[in-house]
Amino acid sequence: MRNTPKIVGFLVVLAAAGLFAQQEVVLKISEGMPMIPLALPEFVVRGASPAAQAAAQEIRQVLMEDVKYTRIFQLLPGEYYSYIRPLDPDRILFKDWDSIQARLLLTGEVREDGGRIVFDGKIYDVKSERFIVGKRYQAERNGLRLVAHKMADELLKLHGEKPIFTTRICFVSNRDGNDEIYMMDYDGANPTRVTFNKIKDYMPAWSPDQRTIAFTSYRGVTAGLYLRNIYEGTETAVATSGTNFSAAFSPDGRKLAFCSSMTEQGNADIFVMDLATRKSRRVTYNAATETAPSWSPTGREIAFTTDRLGAGSPQIYIMDAEGSNVRKASFGGNYHDAPAWAPTGERIAFVSRVDNTFDIYVLNLRTNQISKLTENNVRNESPSWSPDGRHLVFASNLSGSIQVYTVDYDGANLRRLTDRGENKLPNWTN
Amino acid sequence: MKKAVIYALAAILVLSFAVACKKKPAPVPPPPPQTQEQPPVEKVEPPVVQEPQLTEEEIFLQKSLEQINSEKPLETIYFDYDRAAIRTDALATLDANASWLKKFRTAKVLIEGHCDERGTEEYNLALGEKRAKATQDYLLSLGIAPDRIKIISYGKSQPIDPGHNEMAWQKNRRAQFLVIEK
Repeated sequence: MRNTPKIVGFLVVLAAAGLFAQQEVVLKISEGMPMIPLALPEFVVRGASPAAQAAAQEIRQVLMEDVKYTRIFQLLPGEYYSYIRPLDPDRILFKDWDSIQARLLLTGEVREDGGRIVFDGKIYDVKSERFIVGKRYQAERNGLRLVAHKMADELLKLHGEKPIFTTRICFVSNRDGNDEIYMMDYDGANPTRVTFNKIKDYMPAWSPDQRTIAFTSYRGVTAGLYLRNIYEGTETAVATSGTNFSAAFSPDGRKLAFCSSMTEQGNADIFVMDLATRKSRRVTYNAATETAPSWSPTGREIAFTTDRLGAGSPQIYIMDAEGSNVRKASFGGNYHDAPAWAPTGERIAFVSRVDNTFDIYVLNLRTNQISKLTENNVRNESPSWSPDGRHLVFASNLSGSIQVYTVDYDGANLRRLTDRGENKLPNWTN
Repeated sequence: MKKAVIYALAAILVLSFAVACKKKPAPVPPPPPQTQEQPPVEKVEPPVVQEPQLTEEEIFLQKSLEQINSEKPLETIYFDYDRAAIRTDALATLDANASWLKKFRTAKVLIEGHCDERGTEEYNLALGEKRAKATQDYLLSLGIAPDRIKIISYGKSQPIDPGHNEMAWQKNRRAQFLVIEK
């Protein structure tokens, strides 16, 4: 595995140089629509540099993986490229690309400059024969994956989606002997340890800007809640009385919902802290267990779990963020937990127990229909959505030990991301 | 005058010598065999400070917390699946734990609530806390001071038995005690 990639240097929007006119082209296609055929020909390598050659290979390979992952764009079959004249980046023959049914064309030029790799990526709309967007990235050898991810994010932005490829997943792993917090790229690459405290750390949750992780840490005789800014290395305590867990940042990053027994030992209730004033407010008042808060994309509502209708039978409810207007959201079955409200608003993923197997389901809030995402007779847990609401990360003991997987919103495209030690409690966004 | 004294002294000396030679002293009888009288054996011992008989409490206070906990003075109790109620078979154990706490009046304990691997992380964390609380409540009802018992939940994250069957699960659904102050 590689070190944390660092994009060294800068990116230049070529349009800013006045070479091309930046145009507002947004391709919006809803789910279930056919995928957009994308041509991603071999990159052009400038200068006889083996490093640039290798970089071109690596960037293109990662970019192809990213494109496949979207299921919005579809790569042209490899042999199609041989049907037309080879790519000349200075003179794009759009008719050629149109003839092999490419809708978008992504070209890349790679060169070495002072030991660093410079990548120029351009995206063209084939039908209208127009340049859409261009990016120039400069990176060290260990930043090439990030270059590819950034270019892939440009494709998602074109489509009006939130970029996901440069986002990261945080999780708990015992790979180094003790439960500590780690993070990794969306595809499992670059696993990086975040906490080094040799005590049990648990239930990490990203801030929306993915710079801060809220997590539970067993220190002394309490399970406290802490915020760690991973790039500044600072840590602040949020709640250190009672057991505090299940943290979730509001979508605007200003509030933190979490569970705590600070006011009533033995009884978890939901609290919301204003991160600017550091004042916490209890929002559920119930002798039953209330856990697992998850914010709606607007930040106005919170989905959570409670067993107020019967101990041992948790159900998912929704309330206004201040605690009022509580209503039940899950029906059927006697064990629903770990709601994760999709950032796109229409869905809540959750875990349901049926006959002692735990699977992940998605409740469509518009249609009230429930679909089952995992079906493998094991324990699948802790779902968390990608920022674009098209993918989910979760933990499963499918392989025998608990590992982190991703799956698409419709149950397709199951991938395993981890293999060292046990890996659980993944969080992509809240 | 001086001479006279010297002569006188010399005369005395000669006379006394003559007397001494004239008197042949009788042979001295051998001294009676001495009955060698042994001195009484005197035992020399540094004075011993009599150690006081340590009370159980004093012995307890001498130990480190690690020692105390390694002796597991307080027994673990077990729970039913998805339940936090104290089972009747746990009452005797808790009564014994309460007597221990009454005996060692300074000790403070942490009750850790644990769960088996079934159930979600969040729900188990809450359930573990409920189990610890139920255990604490029972001990409080027996007259233990509330400030001597703290509780915490580990959910399902610290199983005793890593197995995936009812035998393992039963061992993992527990409330266990840790002495944190003596």
